[in-house]
Amino acid sequence: MLEFKGLTKQFNSTIAVKPATFTIPDGQMVGIIGRSGAGKSTLLRMINRLNEPSGGQMLFQGRDITALKGRALREWRNECAMVFQQFNLVGRLNVLTNVMSGRLFHHDFASSMLGIFTARERAFAIRALDRLGMAHVALQQTDTLSGGQMQRVAIARALVQEPRVMLADEPIASLDPLNAKVVMDALRAINRQDGLTVICNLHTLDTARQYCDRIIGMQDGVIVFDGTPTELTDRAAREIYGAEAEEAFSEAMTSTALRPGASAPAQPEARVVN
Amino acid sequence: MASITTNGPDHDPVSLFETHRTRMIRDRMLANITLAVLFLGFLAWSIWISRFTPDRLAAGIPRIFEYFGSVMPSLQWDMLFEGRSAEGRFPAGSVGYWYNDFWKYLRLIWETILMALTATLLGTGLAIALSFLAARNCTPYPWMGAAARRFLEFCRGVPEILFALILVFAVGIGPLAGVLAITIHATGALGKLFSEVNENASMRPVDGIKAVGGSWFEQMRYGILPQVLPNFTSYALWRFEINVRASAVVGFVGAGGIGAELSHTISFYSDDRVTAVLLLVVLTVTAIDLLSERARHTLIGKESLK
Amino acid sequence: MSTLTYAAISDVDIAATRKRHPKAFGDPFATTLKAASWAFIAVYLVWSLGFFEIGKLLSASDRAWALITRMVVWQDMATWQYYNIYKGIAQTIAMAFVGTLLGTIFALGLAFFAARNTMPVGVIRHAVRRMLDVFRGIDQVVWGLVFVRAVGLGPLAGVLAIWISDMGNLAKLYSEAIENIDRKQVEGVRATGADTSRIIRFGYLPQILPVFISLSLYSFESSTRSATILGLVGAGGIGMIIIERFRAGLFDQVAFVVLNVLVVIAVIDWGSGLIRKRFIGERGH
Ligand SMILES: Nc1ncnc2c1ncn2[C@@H]1O[C@H](COP(=O)(O)OP(=O)(O)OP(=O)(O)O)[C@@H](O)[C@H]1O
Ligand SMILES: [Mg+2]
Repeated sequence: MLEFKGLTKQFNSTIAVKPATFTIPDGQMVGIIGRSGAGKSTLLRMINRLNEPSGGQMLFQGRDITALKGRALREWRNECAMVFQQFNLVGRLNVLTNVMSGRLFHHDFASSMLGIFTARERAFAIRALDRLGMAHVALQQTDTLSGGQMQRVAIARALVQEPRVMLADEPIASLDPLNAKVVMDALRAINRQDGLTVICNLHTLDTARQYCDRIIGMQDGVIVFDGTPTELTDRAAREIYGAEAEEAFSEAMTSTALRPGASAPAQPEARVVN
Repeated sequence: MASITTNGPDHDPVSLFETHRTRMIRDRMLANITLAVLFLGFLAWSIWISRFTPDRLAAGIPRIFEYFGSVMPSLQWDMLFEGRSAEGRFPAGSVGYWYNDFWKYLRLIWETILMALTATLLGTGLAIALSFLAARNCTPYPWMGAAARRFLEFCRGVPEILFALILVFAVGIGPLAGVLAITIHATGALGKLFSEVNENASMRPVDGIKAVGGSWFEQMRYGILPQVLPNFTSYALWRFEINVRASAVVGFVGAGGIGAELSHTISFYSDDRVTAVLLLVVLTVTAIDLLSERARHTLIGKESLK
Repeated sequence: MSTLTYAAISDVDIAATRKRHPKAFGDPFATTLKAASWAFIAVYLVWSLGFFEIGKLLSASDRAWALITRMVVWQDMATWQYYNIYKGIAQTIAMAFVGTLLGTIFALGLAFFAARNTMPVGVIRHAVRRMLDVFRGIDQVVWGLVFVRAVGLGPLAGVLAIWISDMGNLAKLYSEAIENIDRKQVEGVRATGADTSRIIRFGYLPQILPVFISLSLYSFESSTRSATILGLVGAGGIGMIIIERFRAGLFDQVAFVVLNVLVVIAVIDWGSGLIRKRFIGERGH
């Protein structure tokens, strides 16, 4: 269980996230929506402490996350994987090494500096890649992949961390509809099969509706909506996005899904075993 | 048109343009004249301070030609490849006579190249370590970054030969002082370049490694290093060329290599031995430049193919 | 899709994965090669440091410590003859300026003989280039010593040394700039029926002048740096004062002079950066 108690973040003069108090039970898939600049990324990045909270508290299974330092903080980051909009992979390393870097926390200084990974780590990384249908490019240099492929590699890297929480900051914002569906399906499968808590920033309403158990709406750093997809009426959505955005959430226009509802588990492209 | 010209002759567009144009030309001329006066003034001051007057130059030039005439080898066609005579000496006019000390020179040049190589390797290693501390986007603590940058500036600011002078006093005559001096200076020069390369690297991979729970060392090793390594290699090769030149002169103050021989020969003899050593040094330096340039090009070529 | 934990990966799983993706488990040849090259570098470093008698560093600690103390503790500062120090620094700058200016003027002429597009006669071009290699291949300090032998101690030798080495460097860089020129602009001027002098004036100069000025400014900066050490061989400037006081064991004064030189060089770098920006914009190098 992830508990937020008045968690807040201030950048100089702007308050990006105003004191937020809410609880996320284990195994839930949560979507955070809101206009650009609403503070979604800031909230998410506070959870794994890529952004330092300026006030309030955050507890995971009763443990105070906001007080962690040094190795304990890195341990928490290892437990709480993150997938980024721009993938944040190391483009000049190969796919396999990128995935294996998800296990760096378990390495000692010498083996990580020398880049030595065990056969077991290699096998585990290949399994993770296989799960996302990416094992066939394991030895390719990462920056030669397409965006959708990179995001799946990034999810594989997150998986080998064996996390308990998975954060995703607009994971499909730079992907085309087909790849977006593949990635969202993968996140949902992870949530359902592994029982991971998934917290996901999204900028399209229909994706949030379709995939999430719970939707949190933010506006100017304040949580203005917290409920199930069915509770998110047109009116509520209009409130989250503000009056000006008459067309912004016209669901058909922002839609990234091919055909809502028809979400069979992603079948990745034909696999080439090298 | 009429409505425009009614404003009077001073305000019609053509004359406005003309006055504007003359003003601009005048302003530019004024700036150019000021610059020229400053330049000439500085030149006059420089000539006066450095006492580089025409009469001195005129007196010096014949002596320069005289000197260069005296250090040219006197080679003779028919004797050129003559071997040693019965007494074990080369006859005058042969290459063997000119390069009587060839093997000694070669040994010293070998030492010079080794000095440069060791200094380049050590300097590159130190520079890589310091560049991560010095780069503003990488440094773990800002004060440490500022300290590292000041240190690199100092290392780069003092010429090798000055460090060599001081180190010869501290550790004694010999190549060790030269290697250390060149290492220090190369660390400064490369450290600055490397830290600039680091500052231009993308921070996204670093965020990625941070998010998997990687330490600062792991963030640098996996997030930055793969991005910057090709640039580092290319700079290090280029520095090797410079270090070869440097290690050929640190011997002037007793810090090893061919420099001591060079300095001794030029200071005490004015015969063909001077050109013998100089030519060998020029050939070595040029050959290493060519090799390293080729290596850098293949490196860059391989990069751009990816 | 199936879940699997790291702890549950068995040797059988590893073997099965290895069978399907043998290359992912490391190419033994490549790994060995990599390890061997690192080992080679390490062995070379250890050997060469032994060859250069690194042990002397340990036995020298007393002497080095005394030296450092003498450099940091400044004594009798009233007797340091500041006039000579600052005159030496001024002389260094003056030498660099005159030398670079002469080098620039001569390089302008030579560059056109060394560039492929302005000197079609291969023999001459190669002869000029080899001559430039000699000018550049011999270090400025060596030229300094040579000219001291030829014309005697003093700044004249220093100016000559800066002149000749800047001429070599600049002519090479200038000729590269000329070779990289954009042919289309030249053709455009030629198409108007201009004569050779006009082609040079309007086709070549606007393209190469900013690069030339920028290169010469850089050359001036680097010459002020290198001119500080020309004095070590007696070729004038602040280096003569440094070596004189160093030999007299006045290490505190040496430290003071070096600090002053560092400040002056920083100021010159800053000033020439301003000039570059003001007159050339961000173009050139
Ligand atoms: N590093 C920073 N320094 C200063 N202000 C920041 C910083 N990062 C974010 N902000 C501010 O905090 C507010 C929230 O930003 P945030 O990135 O969390 O929004 P977002 O909801 O993720 O928007 P988007 O959908 O565009 O990604 C914005 O007003 C932004 O300007
Ligand atoms: Mg965002």
